[in-house]
Amino acid sequence: MPGADKETDLTERIEAFLADLKRGGSGTGPLRGSGEMARETTYLLRRITAQARWSSAGDLMEIIRNEGRRMTAAQPSETTVGNMVRRVLKIIREEYARSRGSSEETEQQESLHKLLTAGELSEENFRQHFVHLKANVIEAINELLTELDGTTDNIAMQALEHIHSNEVIMTVGRSRTVEAFLKDAARKRKFHVIVAECAPFCQGHEMATGLSKVGIETTVIADAAIFAVMSRVNKVIIGTQTVLANGGLRAVNGTHSVALAARHHSTPLIICAPMFKLSPQVFTTIFYPFPGSFSYCLPVLREILSKVNVHCPVFDYVPPELITLFISNIGGNAPSYIYRLMSELYHPEDHKL
Amino acid sequence: MSSRGGKQKKGNVTSEQEEEEQPLQAVLVADSFNRRFFPISKDQPRALLPLGNVAMIDYTLEFLTSTGVQETFVFCCWMSNKIKDHLLKSKWCRPTSPNVVHIITSDLYRSLGDVLRDVDAKNLVRNDFILVYGDVVSNIDVSQALQEHRHRRKVDKNISVMTMVFKESSPGHKTRCEEDDVIVAMDSKSKRVLHYQKTQGLKKLQFPMNIFQHGSDEFEIRHDLLDCHISICSPQVAELFTDNFDYQTRNDFVRGILVNEEILGNQIHLYVTQDGYGARVSNLQMYDSVSLDMVRRWVYPLTPEANFTDQQGQGCTHSRHNVYRGAEVSLGHGSQMEENVLIGRDTSIGANCHISNSVIGNNCTIGDNVVLDRAHMWNNVHVSSNVEIHQSVVCDGAVVKEAVRLNKQCVLAYNVVIGPNLSLPEGTVVSMHHPEEEEEDDDDEFLSDDQEVGHSKDKTRQKAFNPAEVGPEGKGYIWKASMNDTEDEELAQCLWGLVLNPDPESDSESEASEESQDRSRSVSPEIDDVNAFQLEVLGTLQRGLEENIVCDNLVLEINSLKYAYNITLKEVMQILTRVVLEYPFQQQGTQLTTLQYTGSLLPLLKTWSPVFKNYIKRAQDHLDCLSAVEELFLEQDTHQTAMVKVLMKMYQLEILEEEAILKWFSTGATNDKSRQLRKNQGVRLGQICVWGKPSQNVKGYQFGHCGSLILLLQKETTLLIFSDGVQRKQTPCSQCHKKESCGMV
Repeated sequence: MPGADKETDLTERIEAFLADLKRGGSGTGPLRGSGEMARETTYLLRRITAQARWSSAGDLMEIIRNEGRRMTAAQPSETTVGNMVRRVLKIIREEYARSRGSSEETEQQESLHKLLTAGELSEENFRQHFVHLKANVIEAINELLTELDGTTDNIAMQALEHIHSNEVIMTVGRSRTVEAFLKDAARKRKFHVIVAECAPFCQGHEMATGLSKVGIETTVIADAAIFAVMSRVNKVIIGTQTVLANGGLRAVNGTHSVALAARHHSTPLIICAPMFKLSPQVFTTIFYPFPGSFSYCLPVLREILSKVNVHCPVFDYVPPELITLFISNIGGNAPSYIYRLMSELYHPEDHKL
Repeated sequence: MSSRGGKQKKGNVTSEQEEEEQPLQAVLVADSFNRRFFPISKDQPRALLPLGNVAMIDYTLEFLTSTGVQETFVFCCWMSNKIKDHLLKSKWCRPTSPNVVHIITSDLYRSLGDVLRDVDAKNLVRNDFILVYGDVVSNIDVSQALQEHRHRRKVDKNISVMTMVFKESSPGHKTRCEEDDVIVAMDSKSKRVLHYQKTQGLKKLQFPMNIFQHGSDEFEIRHDLLDCHISICSPQVAELFTDNFDYQTRNDFVRGILVNEEILGNQIHLYVTQDGYGARVSNLQMYDSVSLDMVRRWVYPLTPEANFTDQQGQGCTHSRHNVYRGAEVSLGHGSQMEENVLIGRDTSIGANCHISNSVIGNNCTIGDNVVLDRAHMWNNVHVSSNVEIHQSVVCDGAVVKEAVRLNKQCVLAYNVVIGPNLSLPEGTVVSMHHPEEEEEDDDDEFLSDDQEVGHSKDKTRQKAFNPAEVGPEGKGYIWKASMNDTEDEELAQCLWGLVLNPDPESDSESEASEESQDRSRSVSPEIDDVNAFQLEVLGTLQRGLEENIVCDNLVLEINSLKYAYNITLKEVMQILTRVVLEYPFQQQGTQLTTLQYTGSLLPLLKTWSPVFKNYIKRAQDHLDCLSAVEELFLEQDTHQTAMVKVLMKMYQLEILEEEAILKWFSTGATNDKSRQLRKNQGVRLGQICVWGKPSQNVKGYQFGHCGSLILLLQKETTLLIFSDGVQRKQTPCSQCHKKESCGMV
């Protein structure tokens, strides 16, 4: 039976993806980089749309919501996965509305009046069957994939507006987006980059090698020297793991201290973050511990290791008031504008999967 | 199947290589073959005991799956039904699982050896496989070790049979198990194990000198290794277990291989990893520390909140100070979870409790003012108010009544009721099984467990509980671990392991017993034994010929005789050679002519050549065999001319190697007679070298004046071999130099 075959193939793929997520979060596993993670998730969601059994938009949303819940539970530190699930849910809603013939505008607008009368526009409205819905949704997901492919380029294109000649730029650790951003600017302008090494993994070293290869004048500094060097810096440009709903960041450990130092010296702090990192989450107290081996960061302690409790968070929370500007693939925005982007990208009902 | 392979590909580099070969297999032994966890494991097999609210076997399977194992054979014996049920329900038996799990059950397994013999008998493994126990918790990436192992096998032509995985951890580390404490002497370059010994608390250790005398010049003697009980084995391992049916455990095997290294030519290597986590839960002490390490996230990514078993409702949240909470957990007012606490779903905890370093299962209720420190509570446990529990294990369904205090290392087995108002002294084990029933049930131990449980229930009803021991409302009996003292040295160690109360007596005992074992081994077997053995071998071969038995079976039979008469391998070979060569005399009388003799002997050699090949492997074996041949022909001096034919036949059958024959010829003859023999044979020996087979080294031969055999080697050098054993290169004897007739240039 070909149908059953398809289904087992699909579940097999989902299981494999879940296993990958579980084994390696934060770029240590087989899936590297949130960009790749976002693409993989979207491919999988497209496959689910194409292969799962559903007759109406409501069914499909239910399936995707269920799978999305499992995926986010598999690796809670990867918000990208959840974000992509929400994007796809939003796409389904839009396509359904378009098939019904109602205008997009009315669907999108939020008003007090609409909130009061929201009862009728519940799940039961998604029960109607449309022949072309599947094709339309897949088409829209393909558009989303194209958008994902172009994010880094779109961000890098804006580099010349922000980086000027003979400026001193500071960055922390390694971010693929920031690397592309700086390299793009280096084609036209000459500037100096200071990279904080970001111990204990020292991704900063990798970043510095990458930058110096294209001829950018690069200096690596220890994390402790960030404050001392900050007075000479014109701009701080960093990447992030997640952009939270309030405009704050969840970024690699050490970012908060950089942000505070930048605020002290009134240096602008610019965040390069593609839109798929925007998460409807707000700041939570959950901290994500160090993935991998503790003994790596505590080589001297080996003798008494059995008595040691290691707490080693990987992420910092950076409050929105420390941030000057977000540069995303759709342009630059202030942190106070994030809520608006949020409502454009995700449907309010999908904030909680 | 093809899609599965494709997915693996993008993972890591090693899986690509695996793809060219066969899928990686693993043998998981879901039985401990001992009673260390009694009385807990009387009701539940050890592999299913929960560690961090997940059965131990799931950790092992997850470890195997994440290292890329695609086929796992799970061997169960004790309570195999329960293990089978568990596995069938788990995610490993879903059709989407990347690791195909086969469950093999039998009541006849009594040791690891039995399992591996069965692996060999059923021909389950086709390639190198990973051997683990069902209670190993690990996140080590063994792909590196696997690569090294395969490389060694390729380079050294299957000499290395096993690679053991060790983790570096200095003495005194909590996850080091005192019982498993090992000292390993290894060759630092090749990572070959030279000597392997359990310290067992000994202060003095002895190393045989010969391990340092050959091989490379760098050695390491290491005591900072933790045995992870993960081994990468070649299929030969299973065969070796079949050949030596006295091997029971891996320890026996390692010892056997190392002791017989020179004879069998097998080697063991080790792989030492610095990061990663690997430990075997071999006693409750280990259970305690592994469970805590798990909660402290040392086994990342196998953490409690990861819910890697993918079971509904098993998920939990993780918050600061390593506090994990399952779904629907309620916590009373003023209760504190200090650090490293894991609480299963639907558990409710009363007011003003202090909980630290503890694991609490699902559906437990805990009263007010309870202090838990290093407590391991499983599912459905009820604890009333004002209870204190320190470093203890409380099994499923146990009830702890008011104001009970469990001191260190107490164990409450399944469904026990304790209290109220009682303080259990340190190390108390309470179980619903009466200790005496143990002896009665001893014999049908390994029979179906349902039957046994039924038995015991009847008995428990007959015997009254002692209120002094378990409290006025208590149910259960004090379990005395000392019951098994006489049975086995290993069982004398208590449930919690040696570590906390090292008993000086038992140490010296084990030392003494080991010594006595060694002594008994070194004593040479009686002459009568040798004769009897010779007769038996003769009988075996005779029967083999008559009934047309396969040579492999003959080998097996001879091996068993070897153990029966306590004969060393060297002697086996010599006796075998002698028996075969004398065989025509035995059959047809001593009045044979040389021609008749060779005529009947040569076909025999051909039929039995596999038997010879099995015993003659290393250079020394060849020499021993040759000396046996020599000895025989010295006795039968009328048939000396037959010798060269015998040697040639053996050479053609690849029983003996050319170098060995030449070496034998060149090594010193012990007396005049043998010197004479060599001189006579010298001419014909040369014939062997040239006629036998296309020889790599020797182009031709000549005979020197003084009776020496001159071999013209390739690369323009000559080798002179004198019958008195002197061997020279390029410098013929002075006489030969002078005389043209010598034939030397």
